[in-house]
Amino acid sequence: MIELEGIEKTYGSGEVVTRVLQDISFEIQPGQYVAIMGASGTGKSTLMNILGCLDKPTDGHYRLDGTDMVELDDEELSHLRNHKIGFVFQQFHLLQRTTALKNALLPLIYADHYPEDAEELAEEALAMVGLSDRIDYRPSQLSGGQQQRVAIARALINNPAILLADEPTGNLDSRSGTEVMAIFQRLHRDGRTIIIVTHDRELAEHAQRVIVLEDGQIAEDRRISQPRDAQAELAALAPAEENDG
Amino acid sequence: MKILRTANEGFESLAANKLRTCFMMAGTVVGIAALTVIMAIGKGTESQVMRRVENFGPRAMMLVAGGGRTIGPPDASVTTLTLPDARAIRDEIPGLEIVTPQAWQMGAGLRYGGNQIKATMWGIEPEWHDAWNWYTAEGDGITDEDVATMARVCVIGSSVKRDLFGDADPIGESLYINKVAVEVKGVLQRRGVAGASGGDFDNRILLPITTAMRRVMNVDHIGGVRIITSDAGRMAEQAEQITRLMRIRHRITPPAEDDFRINSPLAIAEVVRGTSGTLTMLLTGLAGLSLLVGGVVLMNILLISVAERTAEIGLRRAVGATRRDIFHQFLTESLSVTFLGMILGSALGWGVSLAIRRLTTMPVVLSWEPLALAIGFALLIGTFFGVQPARRAARLDPVEALR
Repeated sequence: MIELEGIEKTYGSGEVVTRVLQDISFEIQPGQYVAIMGASGTGKSTLMNILGCLDKPTDGHYRLDGTDMVELDDEELSHLRNHKIGFVFQQFHLLQRTTALKNALLPLIYADHYPEDAEELAEEALAMVGLSDRIDYRPSQLSGGQQQRVAIARALINNPAILLADEPTGNLDSRSGTEVMAIFQRLHRDGRTIIIVTHDRELAEHAQRVIVLEDGQIAEDRRISQPRDAQAELAALAPAEENDG
Repeated sequence: MKILRTANEGFESLAANKLRTCFMMAGTVVGIAALTVIMAIGKGTESQVMRRVENFGPRAMMLVAGGGRTIGPPDASVTTLTLPDARAIRDEIPGLEIVTPQAWQMGAGLRYGGNQIKATMWGIEPEWHDAWNWYTAEGDGITDEDVATMARVCVIGSSVKRDLFGDADPIGESLYINKVAVEVKGVLQRRGVAGASGGDFDNRILLPITTAMRRVMNVDHIGGVRIITSDAGRMAEQAEQITRLMRIRHRITPPAEDDFRINSPLAIAEVVRGTSGTLTMLLTGLAGLSLLVGGVVLMNILLISVAERTAEIGLRRAVGATRRDIFHQFLTESLSVTFLGMILGSALGWGVSLAIRRLTTMPVVLSWEPLALAIGFALLIGTFFGVQPARRAARLDPVEALR
């Protein structure tokens, strides 16, 4: 359960104050698939950083499963990110000289208790995104879509409360992008809370709910009665070459 | 343990960037190697000093004819040192246990039957045996009566016995020294090869000093005076007194150069240390410079690496690494670089030390101390130059780092 209440974010001080977010309040129920949409400069990245507990609001409250992150220190926030949040970034952010397996289990390194079966967990996570046969590959040996799927496996490994994706298809061709969206929809069906941040309306319509930001404020918050089906879109696309990914 | 896992992230980063790791390590390797060699030479020098001083006698001084050089045999061309000089020292300088004059001839020709060898001839008084703590293994030593009567007798070293007489009993036999027949009355204890000079101490023949001066060498002067003080602590002061006395007796006023010199354990130690001093100083400079430059290079590469890996650090923070975890990872990188450098540097240093021992006459002693010091230095440098980059990495704002 995510509760945002009167979130404000300003940069600078004195006379030159830039207000990036203003009076943002909403709730996201567990298991919801939400898209946060807006043109660049509307504050959606800042909102996403706050939702991901990477940044704190200047004012307001953000409760994640009842814990107000505003009151936590750096160590506690790191702990919270490690346990509750899985990130997927536009630039993938994989460790380049490291295998897919090691990349996927990275969050476990920073967990309080390193599970003995960490490698099996990582293999399972990679299997979930269809990369069982790529566990020993390095990012440079993988296509963009495959790299983003490794990143999704990494985001899933700690079994987080929220999967937070920032323009997850921004660096991918349309087929790979659609595949990633199909994975998100499947994860959503499995009961995960997913928040994607994007400027792309079509992409946003894969979600159940779209929150539109304009000038740092919520301009629109609506349900999508008929979300787009990525799996169907994928089938409609021309068949790809094997493992193009 | 989480700290071990974050440390392992540091190891893996080093393993994945081998060339970078080598550059980070180079300074430590050279510095620690130089340090190891310095200590091996230093320790070797000290043990040689000890050995030489032990051989010379810790309470002994040697007044030797001829100025200038600091050690070595007397100058045969200097004829100013005489028996009355020795007597004057004995009578006028207090606190001396033994004062015994000696006459020298290097490379005196010895003949017995068909065998001919060269040996060092010493003209001595009976106290010589006490002064050098060196007695006969067979037969008798030189007596006062031998000296008083200019007796044609001798005591030979074990090498002379071996070379002239083989397995035969030399006692009572007569050998020729510079065409003078002398009867062997004793054989000295074996001393073996001495120190770095490599001279065979046992290749010698002792005659009563009077016999040596009058019958063999036909001279009035002596080569030196062996002096044993009763108090090693007063040695410097006594050497000063002897110098003054000799200058008066030989009518020398500075700046005129002395025609004698006094060898003491202190002077010997100085000479032995002197030979390795220059190299040690050079290596100390190299070690200090390498460790400093190496440390600065290490820090710079780490700082560059922090800058290059900003996104990686941001990502690690995003997936749950605390500032402390990041700090640990980078400090681990720094410390393992210096630690690995320390191991390689020590190995290199040992190798070079062994090579020096094999290829030169320089004394080298390997021990655990350089290793202990190297470990200390590795930790010190790794920490000192690693903390700043690690702190910078830890302080990165994850939002900025991921942008």
